[in-house]
Amino acid sequence: MSEIDHTGAPDDELLAAEYVLGVLGAAERAVITRRIEGDHRFARTIADWEMRLAPWAEEIAPVAPPAAIWDRIAASLPAQQAPAQGWWESLAFWRSLTVATGAVAAACLATLIYFYATAPKPPLLATLDGGGKHLFVATINPRGATASVVPAALSVRPDRVPELWLIAPGEKPRALGLLSADKAVTLVIPANLLPQFTTRAVLAVSLEPPGGSPTGAPTGQVIAQGKLTNL
Amino acid sequence: MDLDANRNLLVAALARVAGGDRIALQTVYRLASAKLFGVCLRILHQHSDAEDVLQEVYLTIWRKAGEFNAATASPMTWLIAIARNRAIDRLRAQGKNRRMMAIDVVANLPDDGTPADVAIERSERNERLHECLGGLAAHENAALRGAFFDGNTYEELAERMDVPLGTMKSWIRRAMLKLKACLQR
Repeated sequence: MSEIDHTGAPDDELLAAEYVLGVLGAAERAVITRRIEGDHRFARTIADWEMRLAPWAEEIAPVAPPAAIWDRIAASLPAQQAPAQGWWESLAFWRSLTVATGAVAAACLATLIYFYATAPKPPLLATLDGGGKHLFVATINPRGATASVVPAALSVRPDRVPELWLIAPGEKPRALGLLSADKAVTLVIPANLLPQFTTRAVLAVSLEPPGGSPTGAPTGQVIAQGKLTNL
Repeated sequence: MDLDANRNLLVAALARVAGGDRIALQTVYRLASAKLFGVCLRILHQHSDAEDVLQEVYLTIWRKAGEFNAATASPMTWLIAIARNRAIDRLRAQGKNRRMMAIDVVANLPDDGTPADVAIERSERNERLHECLGGLAAHENAALRGAFFDGNTYEELAERMDVPLGTMKSWIRRAMLKLKACLQR
């Protein structure tokens, strides 16, 4: 046992052990946190180490948190979803579509069928991509002056909110409203902006402080963008 | 407390949280918040920090409940891992101005500091872990404890135990591999 040569062990095994034990610095932890999202094998190695060490936490005595904490948590959850929700607003439905190959084509088709059945004016659609992934699908209904935005695979730091922007040719980005990382949001488009929703415009999403950009222009990282297209 | 005592209740509640059920999240809060707050407090010491992190932990649970797989993980293990990771991330974000007491290996023999009532209620899995921890050298055991319970980095542990950084790294890596081999037996 005492003759284990740790240099011969797989690096990931030790890295996972170090992460779970908690000895790594902020930068190394950030790299690992990102890696866990996409590397299932590594995530499994981490989970195995968590299983090994977790019983140790039995030594830590429970401490009842102050009663107000639950209220803070409840208040910071995303707003309740509308009860009578159609399948086209179902997050699970869109996620399953966007994960599948040819997802965008299918999403276009589904949206096409829905809107052609209900609205005489053709809607516009944008798939907002970032980091090689489809992060949001936005559908613009010009007749109702609404933008419905459905998130796909997305996780956002709790202290940031995604904000939607319209960028028309030669124009500054115009704020359209705050989105949610985990549910569909329908935004009302201001009447003066409606004419700028053309196939020459782009939609973008930036990460902003809670409540949205304090300046009226994007202040945080732009995580996704996509051109508006006709259906 | 046996970490798996509320296992079935938690598994059911987490499945409902994944479907967007707020009441289910409140159930997870009722069942686990005291343990998770204890974990945050142990690492962060400051009540206000631990409260902020507990809030982050429950928002993470809300978002990620769908990723929990009852077939391969225990719910309490999954929850504690989220709490420890959030607390350690907060600790790292605070930077380096921490006051740390030196670790005296002799005074830190394996079972030192474990309250008697906790020791009595140890689960079977914890017994096995403690057997294996008991098989480590005293300095290895003390270093792992400092990391797990105080959230210390390699650098902080090297300082607390007054050894070079490289020595601390090889102590811990060797100890973790020994621990893994022992737990697999």
